[in-house]
Amino acid sequence: MKRLLIVGGVIVAVLAVAVYRAKLGAEETEGRIEGLEAQARKVSEEINVLKAEEAYLTRPERIGPIARERLGLAPAAPGQYTAPEALSNRLGEERLTLPPEAPPR
Amino acid sequence: MNLHGRPNEDAWGPRRAKLVAGVLALMFIVIVGRAGYVSVNGPAQAAETAAAELSRRADIVDRKGELLATSLPAWSLAADPRAIWDAADTARQLAGVLSDINVKDLTKRLSDSERHFVWIQRGLTPRQKQAVFELGLEGLRFEEEARRVYPRGQLAGHFLGFTDVDGKGVEGAELAFDARLKRGGEPVRLTIDAGVQFVLEEEFDKAFADFDMKGGAGVILDASTGAVRAIASWPAIDPNRPADRTELAKPNRVIGSLFELGSIFKPLTVAAAMEAGVLTVNDTFDVSQPLRIGPATVRDPHPLENPLAATARDILAFSSNIGTVEIAQRLGSGKQKEFLGSVGLLGRLTYEGPQSAAPLTPSEWDGLTSATVSYGHGLAVSPLAFAMTYAPFANGGDYLSPVFLEGFDPAKIEKRRVMSASTARSVTAMMRETVTHGTGENAEAQGYEVAGKTGTAEKPGPDGYDPDRNVTSFAAVFPASRPQFVVLVVLDEAQPRTGERTAAYTSASIAGRVIARAAPLLDVQPVLDASIAEARQSGLRAGSDARTP
Repeated sequence: MKRLLIVGGVIVAVLAVAVYRAKLGAEETEGRIEGLEAQARKVSEEINVLKAEEAYLTRPERIGPIARERLGLAPAAPGQYTAPEALSNRLGEERLTLPPEAPPR
Repeated sequence: MNLHGRPNEDAWGPRRAKLVAGVLALMFIVIVGRAGYVSVNGPAQAAETAAAELSRRADIVDRKGELLATSLPAWSLAADPRAIWDAADTARQLAGVLSDINVKDLTKRLSDSERHFVWIQRGLTPRQKQAVFELGLEGLRFEEEARRVYPRGQLAGHFLGFTDVDGKGVEGAELAFDARLKRGGEPVRLTIDAGVQFVLEEEFDKAFADFDMKGGAGVILDASTGAVRAIASWPAIDPNRPADRTELAKPNRVIGSLFELGSIFKPLTVAAAMEAGVLTVNDTFDVSQPLRIGPATVRDPHPLENPLAATARDILAFSSNIGTVEIAQRLGSGKQKEFLGSVGLLGRLTYEGPQSAAPLTPSEWDGLTSATVSYGHGLAVSPLAFAMTYAPFANGGDYLSPVFLEGFDPAKIEKRRVMSASTARSVTAMMRETVTHGTGENAEAQGYEVAGKTGTAEKPGPDGYDPDRNVTSFAAVFPASRPQFVVLVVLDEAQPRTGERTAAYTSASIAGRVIARAAPLLDVQPVLDASIAEARQSGLRAGSDARTP
């Protein structure tokens, strides 16, 4: 009987240690997950900030003049449209023009 | 039983009692410890959850996904008055780094030792937060919150609206779609096109350089679906700083204001009469003499070239009030009212989005009312409601409601037949004449076949209509040969620095510039000029000849 109690006690102790270790491991994992989630939240917030900055920097009133002055880009004017059949009539009419190169800084 | 006949004493009894007591003590310690942990960490977690909920408010984007509104992390400054020794000194130091602080008021609030929590300022910038941090004052703390940001500034400011400091929608789309935005997740995608919206707003800004004006309203919408591509009220507002709005900028003139819009009603009168079978394109009218209706006399400010035999086309092209009233008299007030009701001008519009003001309708619909309404007086409507009435001219006769949210199924759009395709085509052709040969010449945009109508209406005042204050408007569809879009421009009390202040010189020219710039952004192919069309035809013929054996 006494031996049985001792064996039972040892088993209970071993199980208790196992449960404790499992719980500790779960807590560590939970901590890691929370850390990763916090990191993901932070990155997501940073992305949101960058998206807002991108939207701010690509405001038409800012990007329009830059596209016009540095790249020579503008919406197509009605006179620039033509039918494929009429292209031969317009060859040589327009030349691709690029803005002058910016002086080196 | 033992040898003395007494029952055996339980040798494990005291041990068991100790064991149970030990377990109970352990449970007690665990419960107390957990309670202590929760009491210490609970509020911080709750605050974090609230901030997370605020930051979950969905973004608002335009139809192409361009960001219009988002929520970014921000910090707010709070204080515990019980932990502050010198409230006046704290308030003074804070006022040194935060511009909106009222020292007297803050001192009073920080001196109230009954309170545990006082907001000092919401939505601090990172620089402000750092400056407060460096003061090293006691009793202050920062709360993380989300702040609503509109990165494109004034763009669609009135339509987007804004939120309060707690992230709750209080105006515009932020209010109209509040429940959906609060749920977070996918952005709310509007039908607005940021590029087209910018064009419309920029043309209003430019107009202000040429005219002295009190306000403006503009709409561009897709006539086949009712999708609103641009909607602007001038002066614009910046939803990032709603408190800075001037009184003049506060109303959303395109949705919340009502105007008597004048002669842009005339195409509706003509369409109603054609639908009723009382007018054909060849009918002529004598508009040579002023028309007397009860106590009022209807005149034409600009006489027509052929006043004895003016057609409906002439009446629209040269904006004859007399001719329009004669058409309305043929139509009859009952049918006129029925038609205006069918195109949504006699009741509040129903749609998903910021709500439009209900119209101001005449209390009695007698002969005089019918006459004045036929050319746009005596019935005040919102510019948005009016813009919807031109969609049937462009789409072959169907009235539809405005749409502000993308993702709709075009096949499920509710349409109401209000005129035949033939009437829609005829009236559009008349409006095209108005631009090529009539009062709308300044609205012409090369290649985009603008078909529209000018409107100049005196504003009502306490002593009747005021000839010194008017509303000028231009409503159009384009391109006339295959209409796709409706444009409406309304100017409130526009006074050009030089020249006339009729719609022909104010709103028509703005509408023309808007169409010329917006059409390429809306993928409208310009109508090819005659030489190109001819080349296309000859090309097709050549191809056809080559295929013929």
